[in-house]
Amino acid sequence: MDETALLEAPEMEQPVAEAARARRVPRREYPGALIVVEGIDGSGKSTQLYLLKRWLEIGGYRIHFTEWNSSPLVKSATRRGKQRKLLTPVTFSLLHAADFADRCERQILPLLHGGSLVLADRYIYTAFARDGARGCPERWLRNLYRFAPVPDVTFYFRAPREIAVNRILSGRPRLKYYEAGMDLNLAFDRAESFRLFQGLIMEQYDRMVVTDNFVQMDGTVPVNTLQKQMREIVRKRVDLKRFLPAS
Amino acid sequence: MSPRKGNKKNGARRPGPGGNGAQPSPETAAPPPPLLGVKASELGGTLIVVEGTDGSGRSTQISLLTEWLESEGFAVQTMGLRRSNLVGKDIDGLLARNAVTRLTLGLMYATDFYDQLEHNIIPALRSGLVVLADRYIYTLIARGAVRGIGRDYLHGLYQLALIPDLTFWLNVEPAVAFEREFKKSPAISFWEAGRDMSLSHNLYHSFIRYQGMVRREFEYLARKHAFTEVNGHAGVPAVNAELRRQIARHLKIRRTSYRPSPGLMHIWR
Repeated sequence: MDETALLEAPEMEQPVAEAARARRVPRREYPGALIVVEGIDGSGKSTQLYLLKRWLEIGGYRIHFTEWNSSPLVKSATRRGKQRKLLTPVTFSLLHAADFADRCERQILPLLHGGSLVLADRYIYTAFARDGARGCPERWLRNLYRFAPVPDVTFYFRAPREIAVNRILSGRPRLKYYEAGMDLNLAFDRAESFRLFQGLIMEQYDRMVVTDNFVQMDGTVPVNTLQKQMREIVRKRVDLKRFLPAS
Repeated sequence: MSPRKGNKKNGARRPGPGGNGAQPSPETAAPPPPLLGVKASELGGTLIVVEGTDGSGRSTQISLLTEWLESEGFAVQTMGLRRSNLVGKDIDGLLARNAVTRLTLGLMYATDFYDQLEHNIIPALRSGLVVLADRYIYTLIARGAVRGIGRDYLHGLYQLALIPDLTFWLNVEPAVAFEREFKKSPAISFWEAGRDMSLSHNLYHSFIRYQGMVRREFEYLARKHAFTEVNGHAGVPAVNAELRRQIARHLKIRRTSYRPSPGLMHIWR
């Protein structure tokens, strides 16, 4: 076999940090706007996004909600892969990318082009963090998701690992194999593996605060205080008037 | 990926298709094959790729090469598109329904490819086998590129793939490929005619234009990746002799003469 296992792709030689910096300014080729929440499980992001959504709904804004969830498209493959433990870090990543591409091209992009405010519970940074923690090369991952529009605001909810993990573990006794990161052979015990895996994911997220312009939110602050901060930031960063129905 | 949802559904353990229902416990399950960090030079084995558009005679040549190599004492494993356990059947379903965008389809093909690479090709190469690939990443790159997906994006996507020891490109004119396809099946398929690209309602013209576009992508790829171009218009025995000559040189086989067994004589023309 040839010594080099990598195909040459001279177009991709620029360092990742530079590429990330280039992504920072959203390309506004559509009238819509995209607000994203990210963070490890138990960081409080979904609760906060729900409250933001309610606030915008009650205010009468044109909004749509999307989440990082398997569509019917890849559900059977994902289920098969998980049950039979066929998934490797690379195929795990690719299946989720296929799923996200479907959501992106058939839901998120049309909504943005149609002038909607789109709220996303987890976005491509979930893949960067989780698949990066599994060892997928960062440059490969960044390229894989290059088709995704850059969010207008990305909120990163950050709570100390122990607090976040305990919020999850106290509520649910049974963790799934891949969810707990058992494929990484971090620990025999699922809860312990989950704890370690979440820590690795958090390290990845922390690195993206600068490269991807995250707005960091303290997940230990009381819910209503945090929501107030979030609404303030949204008001400042997004021109909400655009999303009121023309009357 | 939300951990709070779908717990019940995914927790229900059903044997997957083809499985015997035995669930390896996490403690005994083998770690995933290490594609990440694989050193191709340590694999041993030989990866030989045969590329070419529909009707270029690829599959015919693979069958003959398999028999020849086995008769020379080499263990052979073949691979091709949509053959992975993970998503091969799902792609068939997507193609049949035609409900999916080009990017999603492209990423499903990538999943299919890497699943085979990690679960079949790398283990086979580690065991010192000759792997004959009936198409490889180049077809997937060409198909994506003619549909407007960036070439650099596609090359990045397949950056983790192994570089083949030998890559043959069976180059044929689209009109010749069209003739051959009609000998195999009574009608031109949706995808072979590139009908998703809305090139023409006249399916002959659609086929010729689409296959011509793919062929031009291959011309570019052939230069970039130093393919061995083989004139696919020559007869099956002549093309096969050329492939055997090149492979024999690589594998240090001295004798390249070969007559197919009676079972394969029907394709030897």
